[in-house]
Amino acid sequence: MTQGAVEQSFRFGNTELPPDARDAARKAKRLAWLTIAFLVTAVTLVYLVMGSSQAMKAAWAEDLLSFIPPIAFLVALRVTGRVPSEKHPYGYHRSVGIGHLVAATALLTMGAFLVFDSVSGLLAGEHPPVGLIVVLGHEIWSGWLMVIVLAYTCVPAVLLGRAKMPLAEQLHDRVLHADADMNKADWMTGVGGIVGVLGIGVGLWWADSAAALFISASILHDGVKNLRSAVAALMDARATTVDGSEPHPLGGAIDETLRGLEWVGSAASRVRDQGHVFHVEAFVVARDGMPTQEQLQQAWDAVTDLDWKVEDLVVVPVDELPEELLPGLRRHP
Amino acid sequence: MTSNVAMTTTTGRPAVTAAAAVLALGVLAGCGVTVPTDPDGTLDRVRGGELRVGVSPHEPWTVPVPDGTPTGLEVDLVEGFAQSLDADVVWTTGGEEELVGDLERGALDLVVGGFTASSPWTSKAAVTVSYVTVTDPDGKPEGHVMLTPMGENAFLVELERYLLDQEVQAP
Repeated sequence: MTQGAVEQSFRFGNTELPPDARDAARKAKRLAWLTIAFLVTAVTLVYLVMGSSQAMKAAWAEDLLSFIPPIAFLVALRVTGRVPSEKHPYGYHRSVGIGHLVAATALLTMGAFLVFDSVSGLLAGEHPPVGLIVVLGHEIWSGWLMVIVLAYTCVPAVLLGRAKMPLAEQLHDRVLHADADMNKADWMTGVGGIVGVLGIGVGLWWADSAAALFISASILHDGVKNLRSAVAALMDARATTVDGSEPHPLGGAIDETLRGLEWVGSAASRVRDQGHVFHVEAFVVARDGMPTQEQLQQAWDAVTDLDWKVEDLVVVPVDELPEELLPGLRRHP
Repeated sequence: MTSNVAMTTTTGRPAVTAAAAVLALGVLAGCGVTVPTDPDGTLDRVRGGELRVGVSPHEPWTVPVPDGTPTGLEVDLVEGFAQSLDADVVWTTGGEEELVGDLERGALDLVVGGFTASSPWTSKAAVTVSYVTVTDPDGKPEGHVMLTPMGENAFLVELERYLLDQEVQAP
């Protein structure tokens, strides 16, 4: 946003980002600030017209929680920029994982609370009162204002989510991905809320609690999904794509690159996601005896040339691939 | 049934869903449903019938008269509102808790007693908009409201419109 921020160079620890990734990081940072600005308006407007509607309360809570991912992203981006030090030899990449975990826990807790709240409202048969509001001297049923405000919150969120999604993939940033995913799904909250308020309007008292339940269930679902992938990454699970759906293609590419070197007999590696960048331990067995220093350097260069995410790499020459360190060997010998 | 249309399409595109919601609303409006509507039909019952009002003493807003109709600013407002609906007022005098309990049970349609917008009864009763603002003993502005049954929104809105139209001056 500020002049200084635009000129700042982006790096993840020792990794200086290539120009296209740098542009993506810059754009993502701008979008995170834009999201925060939009959320400030959304939270204020929803709070002003919220009244006693459960669905509006749930939508408001979701908007409030939506502050966490962009803030976590901005903090993590700043922290991961630090160069590794003697005390932190692996750098500060894990801050992404921590941010992700915090955001997921907040979603899970709030989702669970809101599900409880709307179910008890439904069971107690709470009839939400929605009366008049005076806006600039005009008397208007507050339900109409709620519908307008909810409709407003749908549109920018979806646009922001769509803009952030490809950047999250490019930067391999799970917090940004979770943020984009939530934004993209935010229109369901808006539409759910609108259905609830219109339900109250036509005299269906349960529509409000039912809509609130739908919204809170989606918050809870987001929480569970994100908590899973955040914990998996912090537990050093095999590196996956940013949405956690499948193994990251770089894992296979690293092994293939090493096996493609003429002096290499067999090779396998284990790759963990540190947040943005990977930590790779590659084991190579040379065709005849001990590889030379040049050959090892060649292997190192070949792998690190694959992608900016692979710079923290250890190449270990071994007699035989160690099965206890590479459990995948048991399944794919 | 029409609200189901909007619910099931939430898996589709936002524009489609919004259109479905508008359509559902249009269908309902076409069926002669006014927005808002009372789930329990309070407004329809009161119109041309009787308005059951609980009154808790709080001068000068409500002044109970032994064996007679209470008086006071809010009593006059309620009488006027009943008249606008062609209804007769049936007064019940009592303590706040008892009256709010009757309101929750559906034995009363309206409770007055000099309540303010910061009333502790807001979780048990629907409060109207502030129809007049006075200065409390601490010098803070305080809006005065009446209590209606939870969720009877057509009745609530009808009463609020009436109260705002009166342009009540602080006593």
